[in-house]
Amino acid sequence: MTDPLVRVDGLEKYYYENDTLLDRLTGAEPEAVRAVDGVSFEVREGETLGVVGESGCGKSTLAETLMRLREPTGGSVTFDGDPVYDLSGDDLDAFRRRAQVMFQDPFSSLDPRMTAGEIITEPLAIHDVGTVAERRERAETLLEEVGLSADQIDRYPHEFSGGQRQRIGFARALAIDPEFIVLDEPVSALDVSVQAQVLNLLADMQAERDLTYLFIAHDLSVVRHISDRVAVMYLGEVVEIGPTEEIFESPQHPYTKALLESVPRADTDERDRVVETIRGDVPSPRNPPSGCSFRTRCPELIQPPGLDVPQATFREISDFRTRIENGDIDVDLRWEQVGDANREDRAAFVDSLREEAFDEPLPDADEETVREAIRALADGDRETAAATLRERYRSPCEAVEPALPAGDHPDACLLNEQPDDVEAAREEWEAEHDASGVGTPSQ
Amino acid sequence: MTDLLRVRDLSTRFFTEEGQINAVEGVSFTVEAGSVLGVVGESGSGKSVTGLSLIDLVESPGEITSGEIWYNNADLAERVESDRPEAVDGDFVDLRRLSEAERRSLRGSAFSMIFQDPMSSFNPSITVGEQIAEAAEVQRRASANPRSTRSRTQGYGLGRMLLDGVLPDRSYTSEESWDRAVELLERVGIPDPAERAEEYPHQFSGGMLQRAMIAQALAGDPDLLVADEPTTALDVTIQAQILDLLADLQETMEMSVVLITHNLGVIARVADRVSVMYAGEVVERGTLDDVFDDPVHPYTKGLLGSVPDIDRPGERLEPIAGNVPDLVDANMPDRCYFADRCPKAMTDCLTRPPEYEVSGNHRARCVLAEREYSEADAVSDARLSGPTDGGAGAASDGSSAPDGEVSDD
Ligand code: SF4
Ligand code: SF4
Repeated sequence: MTDPLVRVDGLEKYYYENDTLLDRLTGAEPEAVRAVDGVSFEVREGETLGVVGESGCGKSTLAETLMRLREPTGGSVTFDGDPVYDLSGDDLDAFRRRAQVMFQDPFSSLDPRMTAGEIITEPLAIHDVGTVAERRERAETLLEEVGLSADQIDRYPHEFSGGQRQRIGFARALAIDPEFIVLDEPVSALDVSVQAQVLNLLADMQAERDLTYLFIAHDLSVVRHISDRVAVMYLGEVVEIGPTEEIFESPQHPYTKALLESVPRADTDERDRVVETIRGDVPSPRNPPSGCSFRTRCPELIQPPGLDVPQATFREISDFRTRIENGDIDVDLRWEQVGDANREDRAAFVDSLREEAFDEPLPDADEETVREAIRALADGDRETAAATLRERYRSPCEAVEPALPAGDHPDACLLNEQPDDVEAAREEWEAEHDASGVGTPSQ
Repeated sequence: MTDLLRVRDLSTRFFTEEGQINAVEGVSFTVEAGSVLGVVGESGSGKSVTGLSLIDLVESPGEITSGEIWYNNADLAERVESDRPEAVDGDFVDLRRLSEAERRSLRGSAFSMIFQDPMSSFNPSITVGEQIAEAAEVQRRASANPRSTRSRTQGYGLGRMLLDGVLPDRSYTSEESWDRAVELLERVGIPDPAERAEEYPHQFSGGMLQRAMIAQALAGDPDLLVADEPTTALDVTIQAQILDLLADLQETMEMSVVLITHNLGVIARVADRVSVMYAGEVVERGTLDDVFDDPVHPYTKGLLGSVPDIDRPGERLEPIAGNVPDLVDANMPDRCYFADRCPKAMTDCLTRPPEYEVSGNHRARCVLAEREYSEADAVSDARLSGPTDGGAGAASDGSSAPDGEVSDD
């Protein structure tokens, strides 16, 4: 575990929607889906770097882009010192031999009429390694190595169980003797008892052959089990990275904390473990939040200077503001519910929405601000309603984008150590914000 | 605690071209009123078919072939008593001995079910609110007239559970049912429920749609909710939200829940009692503590040992060698179904073990409930050879390749 074998620097992969010829002719703006949005990390020789995150966090796109199965939108990847996206000819060929990838279902892209032996030796055939007989011999050896038997070489994929198919997929990845293997959710489709067999096999092969793994998964227990270091992804970004033990024992980023807390433990004490679930869903990568991408769900969202309300209250106020800004609240419908066709009883409108939106008590000054915003809403003035709340409750987390500082275990949260430029941006923002005089209200 | 459901010797088979598949084989368990029973097992264990059997949703070529499902409902018992005295025992009614119409009238109001994929439970072209309102309407009308239960969402989850037939009438649902739908959406934690009710399923995120499906299932205020892998397709932070919701609903609505899952963590989080299924049988059952802290059956132990522990990493996993058997009747040997994968298999195990009492309500279908393992009685792998997964590095493996075709696990 010395030199980085793989270095990923500011990698970006955007997809564009509304980008057909017709869209361009009609002038529709292409919409960028930021699947991978500026990711940097290293994979050291001989280690397993685990990448965790929920669906849509970009981890699979990361794998494909890193292996140059897709072209990046920006950034670079170097493999053993070579810039992967600049390689061509023999150099590219060499990269494709030294680095392999194995997917959750290694057969989805393969011809079902290929036998196990053909599947395993295909990479050898593509790279023109050995004679047919030599390749077959190699496939037999590999089958034994991954815990199957050589006489299964002429069987078809459907004749194998899920766990066995995964072993064949792994044998295929090993066939050309790579140094680096990207494993994308290699065990997530398997039953737990079989999953454990495959995990043990991966670990054994790594030890035997000095392999370097990038292990992508959503199952945190599995990632902890197999990884030396872990990167946590959220909405296309790495929000925290560090040694496995530190990530799991002292997570720093609020998202990592929430993720770890959310995993139900197979243990009789689990019933009594208090889990602070985080609210809401992951936002769309089409329209990621400004500033910190986790801010729409973060339980530790930072309050603006001068404001000091209980944290749960601040979270509720922020959620309410988001609902107004997104137009989730239908004013006409609310008036209907209040049962006032003439829209005269503004107090009733305000009371009903105020009650519905808040479980937490509101301090007096905040009660007043919230009601003022709802009054504007009752008049159909969503802009003013949103502005009223924004003025008092704007968080630095939405104005300043956190980044990963240097170090062994960095995280991208404004509550923790940040690179100098981020710190400076925040100070500037807070100074401006304080100067605007929204500051401390009376208690 | 009183029992809500007593299941006795339930068997469900599928009659396919490949042969008879014993998906559920002589299963017994009890669901207590107001508690959560966790049913855990791997794919092919029969856990989902057990859930479907409970609420009579097994479809051809499947069929419940034997067993009793006693449901505690004094009103129903009284109603049925005169026509079918044999179906009644005190306050309990054996659902298997009711007519199909009688059973059907219980769906939604007595029993309800939610599934892994909420998309399949909703008709994509009808608003979420309308579909939940329909479920509410069906229940409302059913309580007035049990024969008028028709739904346009037929074919989709709860709708399918209701009745055959399509009702094209747009004004099928009453305003009352619509209000109830909004109320249910609010109850399951959907913000701005009145607005969201007007939206179509594809406008909902996965977690929200799961909540909506739960709302739909609650429309009839059921005594029992069967939840089949309700959080499996969800991300872990959303899973935590949904588990919280289920626990909360179960408590406040005094429902019982049968939670079917492969995830032992989910079981530990919400279940009071646990049934472990393997190859169509319940191989061990008891309280959560019984099963997790004092497991008797080697399969239960193996399952617990296979899961990497997020809080205690580092140790080598101890997988169970081999694969789940394929359940085709002809291939099921008349012995303990787990014997070919069991590190403790003995000559005693070559006869099918009955369900032994371990203590109290703790049962295990394994001879180790009665005796100690002894090396002298061990049977050779050769005598047990069957489909295995090879299992490199597996603790007790060493068996060679399967002879026949191996089923998909
Ligand atoms: S920067 Fe703000 S919103 Fe983002 S994780 Fe940190 S505290 Fe939460
Ligand atoms: S009955 Fe025998 S083979 Fe079956 S689980 Fe128990 S010890 Fe193992």
